Amino acid sequence: MAQNMLLEMHHVSKTFPGVKALQDIQLEIQHGEIHALIGENGAGKSTLIKILSGVYQPDEGAEIFIDGELQKDITPLGSLKHGIAVIYQDFSLFPNLTVAENIAMVSRIGRKTKIINWKETHNIAKNALAKLELELPLGTTLSELSVAKQQLVAIARAFVNDVKLIVMDEPTSALSRGEVESLFSIIRNLKERGISILFISHKLDELFAISDRFTILRDGKYIGTFGEEELDDDRLISLMVGRRIEYKIFDKRTLNDPLFEVHNLNKAGNFKDISFTLNRGEILGITGLVGAGRSELAQAIFGLSPSDTGEILLDGEPLHIESPEQSVAHGISYIPENRLTEGLVLKKSMTDNICLTVLNKISNNRGLIGKEAQHELVDTWIHDLNIKPNLPNMIASKLSGGNQQRIVLSKWLATEPKILIVDEPTNGIDIGAKADIHQLLRDLSEQGMSIIVISSELPEILAIADRVLVMRRGRIAATLDGKNLTQEEIMKEAL
Amino acid sequence: MNRILTTIRKSKEMNILLVLIVISIIISIFNGSFLTMGNLLDVVKSNIVLAIMSMGMLLVLLTGGIDVSIASVISAVTVVVGQFMVHVSSNIVLVFIVGVLAGSLMGLINGLLIAKLKIPPIVATLGTMSIIFGVVLYLTNGTWITGIPQNFIDFGRVTIGKFNVAGSDQPTGIPIQFLFLVLAAALTWFILKYTVIGRGIYAIGGNKESAERIGINSDNLTLFVYVYEGFLIGLAGVVHTSIMRQVDPNAFIGFELQVIAAVVLGGASVLGGYGSVFGTLVGVSLFCVINNGLILMHIPVYWQKIVVGVVLITSISVDVIQKRMQEKKNVRVDIDENIQRFARTSVSKEVKTQA
Repeated sequence: MAQNMLLEMHHVSKTFPGVKALQDIQLEIQHGEIHALIGENGAGKSTLIKILSGVYQPDEGAEIFIDGELQKDITPLGSLKHGIAVIYQDFSLFPNLTVAENIAMVSRIGRKTKIINWKETHNIAKNALAKLELELPLGTTLSELSVAKQQLVAIARAFVNDVKLIVMDEPTSALSRGEVESLFSIIRNLKERGISILFISHKLDELFAISDRFTILRDGKYIGTFGEEELDDDRLISLMVGRRIEYKIFDKRTLNDPLFEVHNLNKAGNFKDISFTLNRGEILGITGLVGAGRSELAQAIFGLSPSDTGEILLDGEPLHIESPEQSVAHGISYIPENRLTEGLVLKKSMTDNICLTVLNKISNNRGLIGKEAQHELVDTWIHDLNIKPNLPNMIASKLSGGNQQRIVLSKWLATEPKILIVDEPTNGIDIGAKADIHQLLRDLSEQGMSIIVISSELPEILAIADRVLVMRRGRIAATLDGKNLTQEEIMKEAL
Repeated sequence: MNRILTTIRKSKEMNILLVLIVISIIISIFNGSFLTMGNLLDVVKSNIVLAIMSMGMLLVLLTGGIDVSIASVISAVTVVVGQFMVHVSSNIVLVFIVGVLAGSLMGLINGLLIAKLKIPPIVATLGTMSIIFGVVLYLTNGTWITGIPQNFIDFGRVTIGKFNVAGSDQPTGIPIQFLFLVLAAALTWFILKYTVIGRGIYAIGGNKESAERIGINSDNLTLFVYVYEGFLIGLAGVVHTSIMRQVDPNAFIGFELQVIAAVVLGGASVLGGYGSVFGTLVGVSLFCVINNGLILMHIPVYWQKIVVGVVLITSISVDVIQKRMQEKKNVRVDIDENIQRFARTSVSKEVKTQA
C-alpha cells in the first residue's frame, strides 16, 4: 500500500497569529483515487489545500511526501511541477484573456525563454484539451463562456503539466445537474488513467457518488480517513460535528404570538421559497453552511438588498421594505457580522459610543447635541443593560469585554427595535465574552424583544435559540424545535 | 446583455476608429483647413509627447493602477536635460541617456512605493507629483531654461522626406520626433504581445490573485511597469525639448489628465486588464483631433478642460457600470433546484460487479 501512495502529509500544523488553524493533520492519497476532504465551516480544509499548493508554509515538523519523496518548501510553482493542480472555487482564471492563453499561461512561468510563441500557446492549449477529449473555442475571450465551460478551462489548465493530483474545491457549486454529471464522467475518466482527485464539497450525495475514501477534519484536527463503504450520512455527520465547547443552555420556550411573518420570499441567486414566523420575545436561530444564503436573507429582510417576490407581515400588517431606513422606522435592526466585537470606538467615552446612532434624537433644533438628552439616554442604557461601572465618561477601552459589547449593543438598541437581527454575534471572541452576549440576548428576549440570531457555530445556536431554521443551498431545509436539539440533527439538514 | 457588452468591448477599438473618422469629417466640413497636410503635421508634431506618454500610461492602467505624477516627472526630465545640455554636454546620445535615466529613476520611486510598500497608486503618485513639482520649482524658481545648444536645436529640426504643403512656401517633411513615437509604440506593442512580462501584465490586470496563485510575481511586474513608464516619459521629455528648444518648468501642469483621458478614450479600462497599443493610438488621435477641432472652430480653450473631464468621467462610468452589471449577475448562493440525489459509489460498484 505504502508504495502506492501519491501523496502523504503527516504532522501538518499551521498557526496564524492567535489561532491554531491546523493541528497535526494527516492526509494520504493513493494513485488513481478519488478522495473526499470534508469538514464543517472553518474545519481547516482551505488551509490544508493552501499548504498543499504552496500558498502557505506549514509549521515546523510537517512531513510531506510526493511519490515517496520528502518535499521541503513547497512553492506554488513547485507544487505545479510535482503534478499537483488546484482548481479553486473561483477557478483562478483570467476573464480578459483567451481560452488558449488561460490554459497555456502556466507553461510560461519559470521558463527560460521570455518571448511568447503564439503558435505554441495554441498547441499547448489544444493538447491539454485533447487529453481531456474536450473541444473549446481557443480564441474566445474567457468571460464570454458559461461557468461550466470556464471550469473545463480550469481543468484543462491542469493538463498542461504532467498532472498527478487534481484538487477541486467545491467544483459543483455553480453547475446544473447535467453539468455536474458530465463533470463526474470526466473525473471518473481521469481516475481510470491513474490520476488522483481530491474533492472538496458539502453535498453529501455528490461526495458519496464519486469518492472512494473520505478524510474528515474538525476544528483544525484530523478525525480520520474512511472508505466510502464504511460511512453513511449519519456516521459522517457525527464525525464532522461535535465541538466540545459547552455553553450554558437556556430553557427553550414555546411561544405562539406571531410578530413577524415571512411568506414565500424569493431572490434570484440568493434564496428561494423562504417562509417563517418570528414570535414576540423569541430567539430564532438561523444556521447553515457558509454560502447557504443566511446573510443574504437577513439583508433582504432588512432592506439592504430587497427580495424579488414574497410577502412580509409585521403585526399582521403587510410590510414593504426597500431600504434600511424603512426597516429601522418599522423597528427592525440588523447588526452585521463583527459589529458587536468591532463596532466600538475604543478611545471615546461610553457616552460618545452609545449616542453614535441616535445623534438626531438627542440634538436640538439647531443641530447641536443636547447634553441633558445625552445624559438621560446614557443613564437609561447603563441601567437597562447593567453596564459596569456606572461611569459614563469612562474611556471604552478600559471596560471589560462583556461590558464593551453591552455598549455596542446599546448603540443599536438606542434605535428602539422590536426585532433585532444579529449576524454571527460572537465571531472571534473568547468564550467568556460569548457567554455574556448569550445572556444579554436572552435578557432582551425576556423583555419582549424578538431576536434572529444567525450563526455558523452550532453550540451557540443550541445554547440560545428557541427554534432553529436550517438553511441549505438557498432554501429552508428544516425548522427545528430548540428543545433537546443536537448538532447532528442540525448538520443532517444543513448538508 | 453580457454578449452585447463583450461584443462592444471586443470592437471598442473599431468603434473609436469610426468615431474618429466621423468627427474628422464633421470638423473638415466646418473648417476646410483641418484636412490639409500642414494642419495634420502640426497636430502630429504637437501631440507626439502626449502619444509617447500614453504608451506608458497604458501599461499602468492595464495593471489596474494609475499615475498622476507623469506631468511632474516630464517637467523634471526637461529641467534635468536642459541643465545638462547647457552646463555639461549636448551630445545627442548622452542627452537621451540622461533623459531616460532621470525618467526611469522617478518611475522606480513610484514603482517601489506601489509594488513594495503597497501604497495605493493614486496616493503614491499624488505624493510624488507634489514632491517632484516642488523640487523642480525650488531648483528653477519657475524660470525658463534657454540657450539650448545649436546642435540639439538642429537635431530637432530634422525632417524625413520633403513635400510641398498648401499655404506654406517651404517644403516640409515628417518631423524626426515622430520616429521616437513609432519606436515607443512598436516597443510597447512588442512587450505587450510577445513577452512573458506583457502577458503577465494583462494577467495581473485581469485577476491579480489568480496570477499570484500560478506563480506570476505581480510585485516585480508592477515595478517594471512604473519604471518602463518613467523610461518613456524620459524619452518624451527629450523629444519635447527638441521640439520646443527651451524648457518651461510649468509647461506640463495639468497634463496628466490629458494623457489619462486619451488612453481611457482608446478603450483601456481603469479597472485593469483591458486596453491595447492600437486602441491607445486611436484614442490619442481622437483626443488630439477633438482638441484641434475646438481650436479651428474658434471655441474658447477652457472648453478643452471641460472635454477632458467629460471624456474621463464618461469612459470610466462605462467601465464601472459594466463591472457592476457583471457582479450583479454573479450568483451568490447556489440554490438547490433539484431534490434528486446522486447514487452512491458503492451502489454503482455493486451494479458493476453484478454485470
